[in-house]
Amino acid sequence: MRSNDSTVPRAVSKPPRKPRGIRQTMSDLHIWAGLLVGWFLYAMFLTGTVSYFKDELSQWMRPELAHQSEVPDPALVAQRVASQLAILAPGSPQWSIGMSDARNNTANAFWRKPGVQGRAFENATFDPSTGHKVAARETPGGEFFYRFHFQFHYMPVLWGRWLAGFCAMFMLVAIVSGVITHKKIFTDFFTFRWGKGQRSWLDAHNALSVFGLPFHFMITYTGLVTLMALYMPWGSDTAFKTPAERQQLTAELSAFIQPAKPTGQKAALAPIDDMVRQAQARWGRDNINRVTITHPGDAASRVSVSRGEEGRASMSPQYMLFDGASGKLLSTKDSVGPAAETRGVLYALHLGRFGDLPTRWLYFLVSLAGTAMVGTGLVMWTVKRRQKLPDPDKPYFGFWLVERLNIAAIPGLSIAMAGMLWANRLLPVDLLKRGEWEVHAFFIVWAMTLLHALLRPAKKAWLEQLWLAAAVLALLPLLSVFTTHRPLWQSVAAGDGVFVGIELMLWALAALHAVLAIRTSRHAAKLRPSRREAAGRSAATASAGEAA
Amino acid sequence: MSHLAILLLCVFGFAALAVVMERHQEDLFGRPMVPATARSLRVAGWAALLLALAVAVRAQGWALGLVSYSGHTSLSAALVFGLLIVQARRKGRR
Repeated sequence: MRSNDSTVPRAVSKPPRKPRGIRQTMSDLHIWAGLLVGWFLYAMFLTGTVSYFKDELSQWMRPELAHQSEVPDPALVAQRVASQLAILAPGSPQWSIGMSDARNNTANAFWRKPGVQGRAFENATFDPSTGHKVAARETPGGEFFYRFHFQFHYMPVLWGRWLAGFCAMFMLVAIVSGVITHKKIFTDFFTFRWGKGQRSWLDAHNALSVFGLPFHFMITYTGLVTLMALYMPWGSDTAFKTPAERQQLTAELSAFIQPAKPTGQKAALAPIDDMVRQAQARWGRDNINRVTITHPGDAASRVSVSRGEEGRASMSPQYMLFDGASGKLLSTKDSVGPAAETRGVLYALHLGRFGDLPTRWLYFLVSLAGTAMVGTGLVMWTVKRRQKLPDPDKPYFGFWLVERLNIAAIPGLSIAMAGMLWANRLLPVDLLKRGEWEVHAFFIVWAMTLLHALLRPAKKAWLEQLWLAAAVLALLPLLSVFTTHRPLWQSVAAGDGVFVGIELMLWALAALHAVLAIRTSRHAAKLRPSRREAAGRSAATASAGEAA
Repeated sequence: MSHLAILLLCVFGFAALAVVMERHQEDLFGRPMVPATARSLRVAGWAALLLALAVAVRAQGWALGLVSYSGHTSLSAALVFGLLIVQARRKGRR
């Protein structure tokens, strides 16, 4: 009768408190894991979302460069840029040229500084049609948002990546605990209860989470995978000890070939375009990603031409390796081992660079839903607790802080991102370190939205920032009319899908912020009178809510 | 073109699965659905979702097909969700 023994005492003695079920525990975990790094996650999600169109954004941020109606032949581009690098970076042990393509109207190159030990690189952006450095305003372009979303800024790159990994791990915990917490994931699948306060927020949060669940899980997990060698180096540290082994590991992961020892014997670099043509014959004319050249001008020179990302859901390196002096094909790397390939696929899933335009839009939209999922989660923390505040005008410090940080994190970030685009259009073209100032402008504006959020009453701060975000987004296409030679109507006439697409998107986002502002203002009007009477009732509803 | 076909199939599939749920039948028609109709709609909904998967994989291969299928299911579920909200709001106003 042991089973009876264990049940009797529980039934007899009155339970001091109910045992907490798995759902309750998971719910607490979900709430606090989400809140603690929620502001970082929101910023990572939104800037990451925008990064799916980073090349297009870079085009928009360099209005001096004409719309590219056809893709220049990569073989010619590689040769042009290599010839230019021979002038700019002679004696460098390593050049690497990122090709221009259908989405990218510039070629980028970076090179190791000659005579400097360690990882000292310089880089420049080139016009594919001439091979010269681009004659456009200095700007980080969409690349800034991309970098920011996994390494932040104003801190060493590795710190930023550790911070991003820490937040991503919390996100993974929040996703799994969220699924366990959400009791009726299928019966509530399409449920939305309008105008029910906290209930509506929860329905919206659930819908945004559940519809995009495969994506949210995938993007968080693969995000961690992209930096796994940083977060968990112990496995490869143990397995690969000698420099030769480590080099072999790198070769499995990247097409970026490392310079060997130069012979010191001079030998002119063979024509690059011939090598690229051989790669084009294998992978297609426009499917060339990068050309890396080590020790140009030396007899030991090597050239790797790597395959583009189009049409294959894998980032695993595929490249052809040539002897730089003779131009002879030395080897072709077509595949990697299964472990490296697994990583390659997961990496590619995160970046989504293989996709055609509709797939890219799907990535963007579902990722935007992920951003809204984090945003609604953050707001819900305050919505849920505001009803229980003894005096809503004087909340306790924690509530005050969360509410204010939410404002700076959500509408404030929109204003800051738009602010960077304003800086892109307004900063003088000859300003020293102009590109860096665009980034400073982003953070200055963001800091100002935080200050505003701290000083103004919460509801007013929400409204003012949402309206300001709508205004600065909506005015950007107009600003372009006055500050560039690329007004919207001209882009339409020229059939420039990139400029038209971005400027229409800016208006769509402005409209979204305006709708949010209108809803926020209506909400305030409805809540005000009932709040005072609710204060007296709050004790009753709170206990009823807990019982339910 | 395959993208449009996948999206339409998914929207139909989710719409069919949504209307066979009792909560939405009340909202949409004001009365429960005949069980036989509900059953065939449920089958049709799942069949449309499976067919969309087949179209995606056939047109784009397993790797890219699965990715875009996942995107289309997310988007179309959200579209159906949005339509249900709009419908409920219009009905509420009348």
